[in-house]
Amino acid sequence: MSAPGFFEADGRTMSRGTVLMLMGPFFALVIFVFLYPLGNLLSISVLEPQPTLEHYQRVVENPVYGRVLFRTLQIALLVGVLSLALSLPVAVLMANSRGPKAVFLTACILLPFWSSVLVRTAAWAILLQRNGIINQSLQFVGITDEPMTLLYTQGAVVIAMTHVLMPFMVLPIYGALRNIPADYGRAAAICGAGPLRSFWEVTLPLAMPGILGGFILVFLTALGYFITPALLGSPQEIMIATLISQQMRENLDWPFAAALVGVLTLIVTVITLAFSKVFRFDRMMGGRA
Amino acid sequence: MPREASPQTNGASIDIRALEKRFGNVRAVDDVSLTIDAGEFVALLGPSGSGKSTVLMSIAGFERPSAGHIIIDGEDCTRLPPHKRNIGMVFQHYTLFPHLSVADNVAFPLKMRGVPKAERRRQAEAALETVRLAGYGDRMPKQLSGGQQQRVALARAIVYRPRVLLMDEPLSALDKNLREEMQLEIKRLHSELGLTVVFVTHDQGEALTMADRIAILKAGKLQQVSPARELYERPSNLFSAGFIGEMNMLPVDWDGNRARLVEGEEIVLPDEARLAPVKPGRAVLAVRPERMSYTQAGTAGTWAATVRDVVYAGAGTLLITTLADGTEVRLRIPSAGLQPVSPGDRVGLSCPPDALLLYPQGDA
Amino acid sequence: MNPRSLLLNAYVYAVLVFILLPILVILPMSISESNYLTFPPEGFTLSWFQAYFGDERWMEATWFSVRIAVLTAIATAVIGTMATYALVRGAGSMGTLFQALLIGPIVVPHIALAVALYLFFQSTGLSGTTLGYVMAHSLIAMPFTVFTVAAALSSVDPALEDAAMSCGASRFTAFRLITLPMIMPNVVSGGLFAFIISFDEPVIAFFLAGIRDKTLPRMMFDDIEQNLTPVIPAIAVLLTLLSIAVLIGAGLLKRMADRRAAGVQES
Repeated sequence: MSAPGFFEADGRTMSRGTVLMLMGPFFALVIFVFLYPLGNLLSISVLEPQPTLEHYQRVVENPVYGRVLFRTLQIALLVGVLSLALSLPVAVLMANSRGPKAVFLTACILLPFWSSVLVRTAAWAILLQRNGIINQSLQFVGITDEPMTLLYTQGAVVIAMTHVLMPFMVLPIYGALRNIPADYGRAAAICGAGPLRSFWEVTLPLAMPGILGGFILVFLTALGYFITPALLGSPQEIMIATLISQQMRENLDWPFAAALVGVLTLIVTVITLAFSKVFRFDRMMGGRA
Repeated sequence: MPREASPQTNGASIDIRALEKRFGNVRAVDDVSLTIDAGEFVALLGPSGSGKSTVLMSIAGFERPSAGHIIIDGEDCTRLPPHKRNIGMVFQHYTLFPHLSVADNVAFPLKMRGVPKAERRRQAEAALETVRLAGYGDRMPKQLSGGQQQRVALARAIVYRPRVLLMDEPLSALDKNLREEMQLEIKRLHSELGLTVVFVTHDQGEALTMADRIAILKAGKLQQVSPARELYERPSNLFSAGFIGEMNMLPVDWDGNRARLVEGEEIVLPDEARLAPVKPGRAVLAVRPERMSYTQAGTAGTWAATVRDVVYAGAGTLLITTLADGTEVRLRIPSAGLQPVSPGDRVGLSCPPDALLLYPQGDA
Repeated sequence: MNPRSLLLNAYVYAVLVFILLPILVILPMSISESNYLTFPPEGFTLSWFQAYFGDERWMEATWFSVRIAVLTAIATAVIGTMATYALVRGAGSMGTLFQALLIGPIVVPHIALAVALYLFFQSTGLSGTTLGYVMAHSLIAMPFTVFTVAAALSSVDPALEDAAMSCGASRFTAFRLITLPMIMPNVVSGGLFAFIISFDEPVIAFFLAGIRDKTLPRMMFDDIEQNLTPVIPAIAVLLTLLSIAVLIGAGLLKRMADRRAAGVQES
């Protein structure tokens, strides 16, 4: 007897035919709404109107587009760093808390997670208005005499995106911290390390995969983010997603927009693959260790 | 060799022919052939990795043999999926469905066979009575103790009167007293229902107590299949000899007629001592500790030995002695009426000739 | 509490304020009588809620979003559970392919997807249709559902299905009667996540929308961009309540799932 037939079960293991049937709808979905459309789009970037690299050349050679790309990377990096500064302490406190406090912290972090990004962006749009509450507070406190232009600036984009994306970093870091066996901290203490030292020398390095993973997640999401920059950003200082949208819907320059998408996807994919070991999505979703 | 069949034969015969199971390059089961009579209670015994569970799983249909056939009641079931084999099975960790009540657990096989609800309840209750858990039907599995859960698993396995009952180390998770109680319970069920039982265990004491015949496996190969007594008193190879019970293993020189212990003492062996031909040269003489006795040193026909340790163990006492070359020989003597003896004493060891067994060296 | 701890707690609570305050501040604006988005709100009125519920276009968009989200939840739960079962119960090389493809929609930015679908759906006539949205949203939501179900499935002892099969159940029956009830809380959780992801999804909605068939997020986007009225805070209140409801629902389901798992461990 050789290996079982394609539709034959191997004892208690399902036949390969059954596995294919069960995964079939998923594969069909992925091919139909992901692989094919994306492939189609990317092919347009090199095949319209005839096989060419001119669209990509435009991206690379025209300094305007280069500036957009650079600006996008800058903003995404800034958002990542700010998010890290905010989420690391929160994650640390969550990991060290028990009972009601831990539940409360978790709820506070999860709530924005599940509220619509539009709601959060709208909140910032309202807050940052010329006669909005932030300007009122600043004038009240005396930091400034006249209302500042807060809205439709890069700053608004950075703050709002940090606000939206920060919870995405808390959970991976929290997960990584929780997976560190308590004995490591005890061992460090016995060796003479105080709490800060122990955190820096032992906890942080051990949690690094989670921290790095969270950072990359936020960074990559910020790179391609559309909604918040589109609503709160300055029209003179756009990010790449807005550029793509403009080229697509206003200029109707589909091949060029496709090339922009190609560049963005390339950057994202390269960075993802480079850090693929760090990306344990199952852990980040709160799955089991 | 005549075998005792159980009183009512409601069991099926199982014919395992040249069974083989390969995982990559490893042969978990290597050319195992075994015929199990209807109504027989056979234990598959062996250390971990011996392939005993794989054989059982092949009978159940959860492992697909790489080669060979499984024939149940004359029908070749080798390619049949597990749920069509009409067998009962008890798993190592009870494996009761946690979201179903005890009664629903037991009735599950009946539900699969389309038995109407009222009748299912009735049969399930009857099965629970058989395992002496009448009235527990409405409880949930997690409310039951380990022993009770195992009995529910038993009830579920027999409720539709299968002709074969497979058991995969079902008692290994129970504590000692519970285990002995369950062993008797299972034996009782077996004689009451008359089905064929194939029982996997790594505990040789369990196998000796429960089985009509014991099949010893090692590294995927069948070592010996015999009734318990024969296996214990006349193991057919060194591995079986060492695996079942305690055995003294003495290196000897064998010339075809006599065995020479290292210090020169010669022993004449009866023909029966050799279960298989043994080539002249180095060999192993095996004797059970409880067959040995000791007397004054120097008595004719005894082996010279020095007592190293005397271990009192209640009903029996263990005497650990060494021969002149350092070979250890253990004796198990009833404690009552034991002559006083201490470490350092010189003694003469002897045993009845029919207790001697000879094996080629390296047979294990 | 030592000073270090105090500092940490203070910092963290400040961060929490940063996170929650914007949402909390705009919620009261929904009942303000003022036409302008002032804080604190002036007066009390439910007129902005009435404006939302009474407006045919808002309602149409909302129901459209609800329909899409419900269908997405069901589709994702079914397709996801099927595929996850195959993955966890031994899929071999197909499993690796599955996981690679699963991660794809997470890695690739939504804008790339949205633009690609914008083109593709136009040529296939799926633009703005319920089916188109459901497929796109199912794709994005799938990884979350899969992870949720996979977590539950891998904690179910495979021997339970073996036991069921030894009792005469086919593999599908064993799954239906034994495994599925045990993982059901997680399947529903996964469906809930898919619902919320679909309901709130703005990017694909932006690109696929035509003139009439807009989802709620798309309409909100237009409103925020063009004329930010207090109707937005009113909708925000409702959406936040919805999120809280989903969160609580998911939490309860998790509690249920943990209890079922505990039942298994005790046996």
